[in-house]
Amino acid sequence: MELIFSLLQQLSVYLVIAYLLSKTPLFMPLTTVSGHFSQRLACYVVFSLFCVLGTYFGLAIENAIANTRAIGAVMGGLLGGPVVGFAVGLTGGIHRYTMGGFTDTACAISTTAEGLLGGLIHSYYVRRGLVDKIFKPSVAFVVLLAAEVMQMTIILLVAQPFEQALHLVKAIALPMIIANSIGAALFMSIIQDRKAIYEKYSAAFSSKALKIAERSVGILSSGFNQQSTKKIAQIIYEETGVGAVSITDREKIMAFIGIGDDHHLPGTPISSECTRQAIQNRELIYADGYEVAYQCSLHEKCKLGSALVIPLVGGEDEVLGTIKLYEPKQKLFSTLNRHLGEGLAKLLSNQILTGRYIEQQTLLTQAELRLLQAQVNPHFLFNSLNTISAVIRRDPDKARQLIQHLSQFFRRNLKHNIESVTIEEELAHITAYLEVELARFSDRLEVEFQVDPELHNVVVPTFTLQPLVENAVKHGTSTLLENGRIQVKGSIVRNSAQPLVELLVIDNAGNYTVKENETGLGLQIVDKRLKNAFGQSYGLQMSCEKGVSCTAQITFPLLEIKGVNKKNA
Amino acid sequence: MLKAIVIDDELYAREELIELLKETAEVEIIASCSNAVEGLQKVNSLKPDVIFLDIQMPQITGLEMLSMLDPETMPHVVFVTAYDEYALQAFEDNAFDYILKPVEPGRLSKTVKRLKSSIAKRDYSGLLQEQLELIPCAGYNRFILVKPDEIEMAFSDQSGVHVITNMQSSTEQTAGCSLSLKVLEEKTCLIRCHRQYLINPTAIREIKLLENSLAEIITCNGSTAPVSRRYLKALKDRFSLS
Repeated sequence: MELIFSLLQQLSVYLVIAYLLSKTPLFMPLTTVSGHFSQRLACYVVFSLFCVLGTYFGLAIENAIANTRAIGAVMGGLLGGPVVGFAVGLTGGIHRYTMGGFTDTACAISTTAEGLLGGLIHSYYVRRGLVDKIFKPSVAFVVLLAAEVMQMTIILLVAQPFEQALHLVKAIALPMIIANSIGAALFMSIIQDRKAIYEKYSAAFSSKALKIAERSVGILSSGFNQQSTKKIAQIIYEETGVGAVSITDREKIMAFIGIGDDHHLPGTPISSECTRQAIQNRELIYADGYEVAYQCSLHEKCKLGSALVIPLVGGEDEVLGTIKLYEPKQKLFSTLNRHLGEGLAKLLSNQILTGRYIEQQTLLTQAELRLLQAQVNPHFLFNSLNTISAVIRRDPDKARQLIQHLSQFFRRNLKHNIESVTIEEELAHITAYLEVELARFSDRLEVEFQVDPELHNVVVPTFTLQPLVENAVKHGTSTLLENGRIQVKGSIVRNSAQPLVELLVIDNAGNYTVKENETGLGLQIVDKRLKNAFGQSYGLQMSCEKGVSCTAQITFPLLEIKGVNKKNA
Repeated sequence: MLKAIVIDDELYAREELIELLKETAEVEIIASCSNAVEGLQKVNSLKPDVIFLDIQMPQITGLEMLSMLDPETMPHVVFVTAYDEYALQAFEDNAFDYILKPVEPGRLSKTVKRLKSSIAKRDYSGLLQEQLELIPCAGYNRFILVKPDEIEMAFSDQSGVHVITNMQSSTEQTAGCSLSLKVLEEKTCLIRCHRQYLINPTAIREIKLLENSLAEIITCNGSTAPVSRRYLKALKDRFSLS
């Protein structure tokens, strides 16, 4: 009985060490059964240590040692698998052997066997997919019980002389079985607690982070401005529950939500030294109000007592601004929110950069459209004027018509701000253009239109057909010595579930040369705008049979036509 | 009166210019052509004093055509263009005559007056190409543009210059060419083997030596060309034969 208490006493010290160790990062790998080498190594190191520790803490009795060594061996096996269990048992066993005594061989063998037993249990549960069971204190208890019984048996079988062994076992069996089983159960429960706390923390962390990420998606794509940052700050404020949230750019407060919003006004310049420092040094500043004093720089009676300032770092280490989380004076900053803050800063930086990128893209397409419109070929203009001046002499009425066509063409070209037009309008545009070209090349150009009237109300991006037709004349028929011919066709293809609109511009020159990534700017823009409007699988395709014909083909899905509905209404 | 040919691919542009030229009463239009190939033929056969040459034309531009004219019989050239920044700069730099479309009658009559007062030869070398890329030929009822390295030989007879290409068998009719042998010799890979014959060195299969230091070339396609005494040595040197 006395031995039981002594052993339990030793066990307490042993468990206190285990508890303290559980606070260190060394313990983290033990809380999962990942099977990684690093996890196994950690198991081996930690439990070998406990194995040896168990022997040292043992009580010398009858030329043998009553001990808690088995806990290390079995736990090592349980958490690390058979190989680790065996290794831990062997390490502990060899250590025990060096201590001598008549049970040295028996103890070495039994410790190794115990480690292996733990490992086999580990394999058993892993194979059945019951990994969670490994972490149950009750399982550890039972396994240790079995292991200790096994050890006693081995001592009886191996240790000589038998009478002495029997006497020893009678004395230590019960205390060791009880102490080791309880010890293992408590040890496992320490690990389990650690695991639960960690999982709870990370679950809370990820769910908050995910929620904020989900809610804030796309908001900054409209740009990094007061409206968008206000929305973001509101989301962060709601999700984190901190006292206040602020977002600044490099110079001023963009948004402020929460306690103190009566004097922290968006649009005012940054006054806080912390923020300036965070921007300048690209570092996180945490003024907890105790170690690092925090006082609102705007108002003496501000209720905010601590602040976390995180710089928003964009590409090339450029600081875009900061995000600031505050807590009022009577409240502590939770670690969760501190870590979350850092994640949020990364999220926001990325979103701001993406937003900028999208903004630049739209600007680019607008600029490209301008370019396309401005690309009125001066050669075309002056040749048209020359044609008209010749026609005036012989047919003033026709000349007047040509001037009408030419002005219609230019007027449509000058409509800068229209994003999309109906095919009918686009056809009017190219008709105006072609009328002028027909007059120029009166003796050697033919034009044919075959467009399904159903398509007239279908909407396409502006400047979809005109560049193709202009291309067909400029690089196609005008280079032919003999007669040029241009066909403009439009039809609905109903081969699949999704009806497609197919527009074709065909010339009979066949001059188009496909150079990788080097199609004309005009055609590239047409293709890009179609892809923007309808998706990547649609757009413009050029094909050419050298010297025979060149076809520009546009396909896109036929969507609901507004005009048809109007007619019915 | 100046004899003039107008070369422009647009009908109305041609007619307008002819009309305006007639109004000056100083110019007689002897032909009008809708492309450079036709233009070359007419220039060679009609020998005008001046040509009014559009720059942007199908297949062979006005500037390319200029390189194809025999410098000996080069007429005076007035360039006509609607818009061509680079060419205009070159014309300005070299003081060549040019007019812009739509044509301004005042400017045109000034140009014509200047032409009449000094019809001295001009040096167009600044605008000329060193090597021709395409040789315009007239086949049966059509134009053909031949790459110089496709030509096996070129020769002249009373009816003009003819070329034989490597696409043709020796029996097929030869294509007429509006370029002189001299231009072809200077601006293509063809070399002279006889006063009236040019040969593409890469097309020679056999050089048969005859009596009297004469020789005969047989091409890959089986056509034959005579080699005169005068050119035989140069030919031998070229192929390191002696």
